[in-house]
Amino acid sequence: MGPVRINLEGVSVRYRLSTHRIHSLKEWLISCLGGGLSYRDLWALRDVSMSVRAGETLGVIGPNGAGKSTLLRVVGEVLRPTTGRVRIAGRVAPILSLGAGFSGDLTGVENVYINALLLGRTRSEIDSSIDGIVDFAGLAEFIDSPAHTYSTGMMARLGFAIATAWAPEVLILDEVLSVGDAHHVERCRARIESLQAAGSTVLMASHSRHAILANCRRCIWLDHGTVVMDGPAEETLEAYHATVATCLGADRPRPSAPPGGLRFSG
Amino acid sequence: MTTLWQYRELFVYLVRRDLTLRYRRSVLGLLWTVLHPLAHMGVIFVVFSGVLSLRTESYAVYVLSGLLFWNFFTQSVTTSMTSLAANRALLLKVPVPKTIFPLSACLSGLANWVISIGPLLLILVVSGHPMGTSLLFLPIAIVVGFLFTAGVGLALAPLAVFFRDVVEMVTVVLRLLYYLTPIMYPITMVPERFTWIIRLNPVGPVLEIFRGPIYLGLIPSVQSMAAALLVALVALAVGATVYRLTGDRVAYHI
Repeated sequence: MGPVRINLEGVSVRYRLSTHRIHSLKEWLISCLGGGLSYRDLWALRDVSMSVRAGETLGVIGPNGAGKSTLLRVVGEVLRPTTGRVRIAGRVAPILSLGAGFSGDLTGVENVYINALLLGRTRSEIDSSIDGIVDFAGLAEFIDSPAHTYSTGMMARLGFAIATAWAPEVLILDEVLSVGDAHHVERCRARIESLQAAGSTVLMASHSRHAILANCRRCIWLDHGTVVMDGPAEETLEAYHATVATCLGADRPRPSAPPGGLRFSG
Repeated sequence: MTTLWQYRELFVYLVRRDLTLRYRRSVLGLLWTVLHPLAHMGVIFVVFSGVLSLRTESYAVYVLSGLLFWNFFTQSVTTSMTSLAANRALLLKVPVPKTIFPLSACLSGLANWVISIGPLLLILVVSGHPMGTSLLFLPIAIVVGFLFTAGVGLALAPLAVFFRDVVEMVTVVLRLLYYLTPIMYPITMVPERFTWIIRLNPVGPVLEIFRGPIYLGLIPSVQSMAAALLVALVALAVGATVYRLTGDRVAYHI
């Protein structure tokens, strides 16, 4: 195993939701003057610690609102945790999709340049890799058409091709393999494997048991912001699906639900 | 600053995107970036020097040069304010400095401003307005105007994320500021007892060092230059401070 690439120590993320919705400066001033604001705290992540090494692919599973996206944002260094320490060694590449980074009116090539520049690449690096990116995405005939003519799958292929073109130290996949066709999914798996061999660390959140088993040896199960289990992918998946089955069978809330059962979505 | 410098190529692409996207799929394409201000200025020129038959033709030049700066300022500030929300999905995925979005909004405004100088010069020639070496001062005035505007944009962008009504409030304030800034009227028209209000307006000095070289044909005095630079640096410092204090919270609220 290689050196530690991702290290989280006691990471917690707290969203403060004001009990009366405050969206305007006026409302905020009024509530401040009228006896202070009342908040309800929502811990999207609670005391999460983990290390992921170079060459490791970690699956992240859990129900909606468990904190998967928040965890990926913390690792992606776009969200600074409320408490705790995050150390990431190397460059992080998230997969971009339509809405994040892709402009529908720009052509595929223009989008490749803007997205790769956003990921911190230089123009000359992109110049020399553009053919490979277009080729992997299988978009050779469409690359000069505006991106709004692309299907969701084509967009996902292009996003994956850009993010993986330069073997990033850390690759973040947030439920992106589920939109491609079988052929593309297989090519992605092969590329993830070769990235892994080259020492990249991959973090993938997915609801697809198949995608996790195909790509990850290790998997963590998140629920209500805490790590319920961290272990071999098969065992974690089995334990997770067992609780889902129990919940369905007994027709009652999930066992680990705290009182109040507030969940974070998004 | 050093990290922003690493993203210089990205800025070029983002500005180019803004400029081309506006007129893509139109017949004349990029030509519109020149035609649009030219048409706009042509209308103002005809109205102020012809229809209203004000005393001098140079009044139109006064109004035009003032409006060029004002349009840059309001356009940049307004788009900076909404730039973070517009790039929400990106901000939650890619670890780029969040200042990139308001700054590239201001840079696009700057590009439009610089392009519109061309049609302005054309109108100067047509109207026979004297043109001197003072025009060589314009690049400095434009840089100062950009620093000022970028400061305001940087300060307002995170605030607009925390409080939705900031956008509405700023729109109203900009409208008020427009009338408090001597753009359509010369400052000499303002009664003595009200001039202090005009002088308190921070936009005034920044506008003055841009309009002076065009309209008066004079290089700004050291005092006006110092005033404009001071205003610009204060705005920039405020913008940078607001960003430093709130930047980490943006991802929580957007």
